[in-house]
Amino acid sequence: MEAAPTISTRGLTRRFGELLAVDGIDLQVSPGQFFGFLGPNGAGKSTTIKMLTGLLAPSSGRIEILGIDLTAQPVEVKRQIGVVPEGMALFGRLTGSEFLNFAGRMYGLDRETAAKRAAELLDFMQLVDQPKKLVTDYSHGMQKKLAMAAAVIHGPKVLFLDEPFEGVDAIAAGTLKTMLQGMIARGATIFLTSHVLEIVERLCSHVAIIQKGRLVAQGSLEELRAGVEAQTPAGLVDNSGDSSVNGARPSGEKMTLEQIFLRTVGGSHPTEQELSWLG
Amino acid sequence: MIEPNQIMKERGQFRAIAWLRWRLFANGLRSKRARLELLSQVIVSIAFAIGGLGGMAFMAGMTFFILERGKPELIAILLWIVFFFWQLFPIMATAFTNNPDSSELLRFPLSYRSYFLVRMAYGAFDPATFLGSLWSFGILLGVGFAKPSLLPWTLLVLLMFAAFNLLFMQLIFAWVERWLAQRRTREVLGILFVMVMLSLQMIGPLTGYFGKHARPEVLKFVESIFPVQGILPPGLAADAVAQALFSRFMTAFSSLALLCAFALIIGYSLHVRLRAQYRGENLSEVAAASALPRDRSLRLGWNLPGFASPVAAVFEKEIRYLLRSGPMLLTLIMPVFVLVIFRFGPMNSARHSGSFFARTPNLAFPSAAGYTLLMLTNLVYNNFGGDAGGIQFFFASPVSFREIVLGKNLTHAAILAVETIVAWMGVSYLYGRPTLDVTIATLAGLLFAAPLNFSVGNLLSIYSPKKLDYSTFGRQRASQVTVLISLGLQIVVVGIGAAVFWVARHYGNFWIATVILLLLAGISLSGYAMILGRMDHIAEERRETLVAELCRA
Repeated sequence: MEAAPTISTRGLTRRFGELLAVDGIDLQVSPGQFFGFLGPNGAGKSTTIKMLTGLLAPSSGRIEILGIDLTAQPVEVKRQIGVVPEGMALFGRLTGSEFLNFAGRMYGLDRETAAKRAAELLDFMQLVDQPKKLVTDYSHGMQKKLAMAAAVIHGPKVLFLDEPFEGVDAIAAGTLKTMLQGMIARGATIFLTSHVLEIVERLCSHVAIIQKGRLVAQGSLEELRAGVEAQTPAGLVDNSGDSSVNGARPSGEKMTLEQIFLRTVGGSHPTEQELSWLG
Repeated sequence: MIEPNQIMKERGQFRAIAWLRWRLFANGLRSKRARLELLSQVIVSIAFAIGGLGGMAFMAGMTFFILERGKPELIAILLWIVFFFWQLFPIMATAFTNNPDSSELLRFPLSYRSYFLVRMAYGAFDPATFLGSLWSFGILLGVGFAKPSLLPWTLLVLLMFAAFNLLFMQLIFAWVERWLAQRRTREVLGILFVMVMLSLQMIGPLTGYFGKHARPEVLKFVESIFPVQGILPPGLAADAVAQALFSRFMTAFSSLALLCAFALIIGYSLHVRLRAQYRGENLSEVAAASALPRDRSLRLGWNLPGFASPVAAVFEKEIRYLLRSGPMLLTLIMPVFVLVIFRFGPMNSARHSGSFFARTPNLAFPSAAGYTLLMLTNLVYNNFGGDAGGIQFFFASPVSFREIVLGKNLTHAAILAVETIVAWMGVSYLYGRPTLDVTIATLAGLLFAAPLNFSVGNLLSIYSPKKLDYSTFGRQRASQVTVLISLGLQIVVVGIGAAVFWVARHYGNFWIATVILLLLAGISLSGYAMILGRMDHIAEERRETLVAELCRA
């Protein structure tokens, strides 16, 4: 029997005045999945993740996290999830340790546990060297690591990450990836949006692609690949001879996520004739 | 030699920069709030124009009067006024907020010459330059009316004086910019600024208080510094005009030459600073990391007996924020400071028969307590302003807004309690210990006023939030709507308090005030509890506005 989905949406819609940012999407994320949510700029990724985490009310539709209705029991859902939103949601004038302590207690940990986990997380994230430094003085990468630490301090079953690797150096990204893979290994579900398709391809087992507010593809990487390959003749190469563009693929090679993505959203690179004055 | 092609390119760049400034201004008017801000700017500009023209007329009249009296050296006083205004006003007006950073233009292929000129153009369009120039023109008019033959020479001198002021203002800003680039220096500078402002306020009361006893010493001091001012730019400019009046042209010329030298030195210093900026000096917000030994001890969060852990966590966070906010802390010491000003003010000294609190010492503590509450306005009426992006954390966390707001209000109540105790001690020291009935009545008054303020403050914090940076001064006020409503409420609260105390005083029994105020406190507390109970619902409704406003870059 198939396990009940960890994240489930039905007809999830969000309007901003005239603009239909998210148009009735039906998402299904199973337990233990590392789920990548992709889309071009302005497609509705952040709006969707905000709705899934209770930061934004849907115009219509239903959201269930771990089988709990988010609209009916928001606090119960929030207790079980961790979030790193777009703006990272940090309190700049606390030190890293104070912020994690604060986050732990807001998520219902007792003082001792919050303090212990805060210290462990600071150590793991390599943020312990400057204990008196205020969060506002952290570099962008340090802030990302701290936001991630705050999101996991209570041991959430589901983790939502909006662009977690944006502006993060390779070392910090490695630390974050190690932590996320450890969480997956222990049975957590992770839902992330990212523009770095290589990272998504390496980390995620399942992917959904949103375009102009509508879900245009959803499934495991293999399922998506099979679906796109069925529509793309093998050996098709674009004019530039670069098989990575326009979703084209050389024969015998697996399509990369970037190719799948470009094929799915219909994106194309400009030809050489455009901007010919460059360089 | 600059090539014509280069000049054309530079002109194009200047036009582009002017267009950029215009678009920034025009695009900023898209929101309703920005249009309201523009309206207030128009009102301020009218006030500036009146001040400028009025000042010009004053300067012209004074110069004419001084020259008619045959004391041209006194023009120095007018020029010192112009100088101080020109240099101090921009700092006060911008109040240490981050201004549009002209160094951002450096990413473009701007020549150093163009960069320097752009900086000077920014300065030339400053209101201080506008007013300073108008006032200087007033002096020129005064000279023109009194001694028309001196007009060309005075014009030359005042032009050089204006150039000096413009360069000096830019030099100050170049350095201030450098200091403001780092949070710590920004805070230190901000605190120094407020200290200076507070000290300036003390000059009047203290000279009034000590003036009679120390007048000979003060006069002696003024006489000793007068020659010193003569070798500084305003004094030199005045001397250049005065000496020309007495036909001592060599001395006049030497004064002008010295003024030119000052302008050149300042110009060169500015060049050094701007050159460093132009070459791309590093003004990183973060100092080089210095690894400290790892601290392995666990730091437990605070505990508030009787309150849930999240409430205590919010309370701790709020207190830590306040303790790290120089501007906020300084706001909170104002009540005590005002008591001191009242005590030493010439009209309010206890030694004078006209002193209000000396005649009615019983009203000193209620007034101080009321003022204390007033000082909390910035915090209470914009609860979430300092949280900025942290508001998302509140919404993402499994804690009800009722608890979050309660934690914040507990912080306000704790500050109010501490301030009231300090005010009580201050009043005891300065005016004599308040009687028990007055103390209890005042506390009852606070019990009425505080929950009322907290209730309205909580609502406005959610309905009309505005992002604040606790580390900077100035332009840190709440939204106009909040300001107006809070002002209205304070008038009502103070009016009720004053009426109750007046009735009690009329009957010679302050316990009457206690009873009335306790009754009002009961109503106020019930209202507070009711609104607090609805906080989750209201916050949920206003979620998007709150997040959008507070997470704004």
